[in-house]
Amino acid sequence: MIRVLFFGPVAERVQAREMQLEFTQGMTLHDVIVRLGMQHPGAFSIVSFIAVNQNQIHDKKMALHDNDEIALMAKFSGG
Amino acid sequence: MIEAVRIQQEDFSQDAEIAALKVGSQRIGGIATFLGCARDFSEGREVLQISFEAYGSMALAEMNKLRSEAMAKFGLLDARIVHRVTTVRAGDNIVFIAAAAEHRAAAFDACRWMIDELKLRVPIWKKELTPEGDSWVTPHP
Repeated sequence: MIRVLFFGPVAERVQAREMQLEFTQGMTLHDVIVRLGMQHPGAFSIVSFIAVNQNQIHDKKMALHDNDEIALMAKFSGG
Repeated sequence: MIEAVRIQQEDFSQDAEIAALKVGSQRIGGIATFLGCARDFSEGREVLQISFEAYGSMALAEMNKLRSEAMAKFGLLDARIVHRVTTVRAGDNIVFIAAAAEHRAAAFDACRWMIDELKLRVPIWKKELTPEGDSWVTPHP
């Protein structure tokens, strides 16, 4: 299972804080982004950072593993 | 001793944070601090409350990394970073950063660097609650 987390403005647009996706062999981060992006285009327009297992990722071709945790995040505004 | 890097709902005491730095070393010649607090006005609107949300585990890990990097980069003797994640009102404390060094230049530079990097790198978001409605804050440079 792949756990996808949403926070703040992205969570508000997706209207969910978390989703579970079934893991399939060969699955990449790009696959998840395309799939969820089609379902929630408004939310993905503000996604600026992506983390896998709490590490920021720049290569969307990254292969996923079962039980990975993905976070799709808008620009940060702490402080 | 209280952890040097924390995310918490409750308010913090600047005196307690500074005291924690001072017990660690008597070689400290200067401590620079930054206190971020909630404003009652933003983008031309009255702000009633500010609500914070964080990707807690990643935010804490990133804050710890930030502290370690600052200590190495500026040769600090110690540093502390505390961020509240809760709903605050005007005047309430939000974030506290302290950099302790042998000399003031490193302390000032490190303190500024840590708050600037925190804003860029730490997954925390804030929403302003105003009489006209709520809105997520777009980051400022």
